[in-house]
Amino acid sequence: MLKNYFKIAIAVLRRRKFFTFISLFGISFTLTILLVLTAFLDKVVGDSYPDRKRDRSLYVTHLQESGKDGQSSSTLSYYFLNHFVGSLKTPVKLGISSGYEGTNTYVNNKKLAVNYKYTNADYWEIMEYDFTEGKAFSKQQIDNADKVAVISEDMKRDYFGDIPSVVGKYIEADNVKYRVIGVVKNVPITSYNLYSDIYLPYTVSKTDFTKGKGYLGDFTGVMLAKSTDDVPRMRDEYDAMMRRIPMESKQFNKMYSHAQSYIRSYVETGNESSSGVTIVFTAIVIFVLLVTVLPTLNLVNINITRIMERSSEIGVRKAFGASSGTLVYQFLVENIILTFLGGLIGVVLSFIAIQVLNSFRLIPNLVLSINFTVLGIGLLVCFFFGLLSGVYPAWRMSKLNVVTALKAQ
Amino acid sequence: MFKHLFKLIWNKKKQNFLLMSEMLFSFLVLFAVFTLLVYYYDNYKKPMGFEYQNVWVISYNNAYQTKSTDSLNTYYEILRQNIKAMPEVRELSFCSFNTPFTNNMSQGRISYHKKPLDHVNFYTADESFPATMNMQILEGRWFNKTDVATKNKPIVINSDIKEQLFGKGAAVGQLISNYDEKEKMRVIGVVQSIKMKGDYAATGYGLYQKTDTGSLRWMGKIMVQVVPGASAAFEGHLYKTLANYMKNSNVEIEHLTNKRTSINYFTLVPMIVLSIVGGFLAINVALGLFGVLWYNINQRRGEIGLRRAVGASGGAVSSQLIYESMILATLSLIVGSFFAVQFPLLNVFDLSAGIYISAMLLAITFIYALVFLCSLYPGRQAAAIYPAVALHEE
Repeated sequence: MLKNYFKIAIAVLRRRKFFTFISLFGISFTLTILLVLTAFLDKVVGDSYPDRKRDRSLYVTHLQESGKDGQSSSTLSYYFLNHFVGSLKTPVKLGISSGYEGTNTYVNNKKLAVNYKYTNADYWEIMEYDFTEGKAFSKQQIDNADKVAVISEDMKRDYFGDIPSVVGKYIEADNVKYRVIGVVKNVPITSYNLYSDIYLPYTVSKTDFTKGKGYLGDFTGVMLAKSTDDVPRMRDEYDAMMRRIPMESKQFNKMYSHAQSYIRSYVETGNESSSGVTIVFTAIVIFVLLVTVLPTLNLVNINITRIMERSSEIGVRKAFGASSGTLVYQFLVENIILTFLGGLIGVVLSFIAIQVLNSFRLIPNLVLSINFTVLGIGLLVCFFFGLLSGVYPAWRMSKLNVVTALKAQ
Repeated sequence: MFKHLFKLIWNKKKQNFLLMSEMLFSFLVLFAVFTLLVYYYDNYKKPMGFEYQNVWVISYNNAYQTKSTDSLNTYYEILRQNIKAMPEVRELSFCSFNTPFTNNMSQGRISYHKKPLDHVNFYTADESFPATMNMQILEGRWFNKTDVATKNKPIVINSDIKEQLFGKGAAVGQLISNYDEKEKMRVIGVVQSIKMKGDYAATGYGLYQKTDTGSLRWMGKIMVQVVPGASAAFEGHLYKTLANYMKNSNVEIEHLTNKRTSINYFTLVPMIVLSIVGGFLAINVALGLFGVLWYNINQRRGEIGLRRAVGASGGAVSSQLIYESMILATLSLIVGSFFAVQFPLLNVFDLSAGIYISAMLLAITFIYALVFLCSLYPGRQAAAIYPAVALHEE
């Protein structure tokens, strides 16, 4: 039976080539846009290099203080993370790192823009950076304030050129010489909490971060739980801590900060009253709706036209006793075959589009790829399209009166 | 005649309803895309307001900690002299961290005669700022040595604030209150608004305050205008000088030309993506319309044949079909405009009404052109129908 439907579908597709082209064009381009979008989202928030222990980590990125005269919101100070967050019992490790900052270095009369970032020792134990050579700095080196640095592959190439090993060599940044002890694989700048060109021990900074008792500063923290089961407990403990600790000054009467999953912390706005997740989610939904509604309407239009064209066929089948259900089923199958064909072209097109986008290098080190999740989502979208654009025309067709259908020709 | 056409449309209301909703959606999408494009274009054709070529931004932090204001002043005065003495440097200015083409902002509210004005950018800069940036002073003057702390702090506003608060009248000498209305500030000059966020962004309200010893403690930027063609070697030398002078500081030198490119890029990329998506949707709709209209004509061969037989010319037949689709477009555009006109009425995104209206006009023209082009060929095909052949089929 299905084989018959398939044959009929192919025959119909070949009969009106222009209509087939319009349908396939609409389906494949819509799918391409959706696939590229999902590939991008998947890479930006779904890629787990270098924080592979995401499922048992919570991220602390913002603190908002508000009072009568206004509010301030920012990343946190080293003191806050070390003193308060560091005293929590559930986390087994607490990685602390500053946001990346820019400086310059000049090699052979050429200027290099360098981003640097300060971290503690736990940071390297939570994050699983891939070291192409050397290793991370240890707690001992941090306590001694050794001028050592872990650099990215890009930095190695730009500063030292094409040489096999740079461990033990000195790199100058911000007018200070650091000894390179490790080289890690690049992180794209879209992972803004983890990205940097040079990673340094927080103790070598020209600013002494351990001084001062302000709550706001340049740092963010990652707490690692023993197991995934401990994560909710860790979150509760953090919230309990936030209720307990005193206000930074009399100016403020409320403080908000949360230990969040990676995705929530990624889109954190730093403002308690506007959730980043909601904003991003709404934006994506509106975009997807816009991109899909129009082609679907278009497909419905085309499908109705095509089906009405076949009214005599429908009339004959009805006259010989085919039920409405059978006919709707047949047309749905035909339509789904059509959408899958479009989907196939769409996958090929998105493959090309992603190659082109990658070759533009819009964002350094962000290499998009079609993975199986994306492909699965694509096929699901196709199926949904097929149903959506096939149901209404099929229903209208099945309502056709036998006599009128046969008389039409 | 129109009455007759309406009747024809009404008779096929189910099919036409789908066509109309398709046109309606494409109108809304195009309206959104055009609003963005018109907004960017509108900003793009306004002048930059300053010269970014050959201007470098030096960032530093944590430079000099002292309780004594005298030694603080001396510290920065020596730094200024040192930089100024370099032959490649034309002019320099110490200013607050919200320099051009960064995402740093410092916004607040001011009020004039109890009328509040929000989203005002507060800049702090010293006497040589306009010279460094080549800014244009439209009215009054910039700060000079005589501006010491008086009861009413002297400020300079940009032309956007002037237009909003004083319209065509004179701004110099007027008093503006800050957010809590406790403090009054005296306007001493008006400068041309500058596009701080790149070529495609609006200028926004800007208010300049003069640096004082207090602000020297937290400021972290120096703008330097260099001679054209200053080399990387000189930049390295400048960098060393700064890093050696400010031992405890992290120093970074950036070029405004590069920063402009990268901030523009953040506006251009979404714009290009949206235009591609919008373009693709338009092509999609055009093909769909074309297909449906073409099919409809094949369906109505009998009717068209009859009209030709009783004496209608080919032109009359094809113009009837074009009129029909134009009426359909008009109906959906009326509904679409009803939604679109809410944006300027409710002032949804804080854009001027002119932008929305021109975007609406563009979208309407675009839809009409699209529908017209898509019905042109089917119309001509209908005109070519021979009555004898068409009627013979029945």
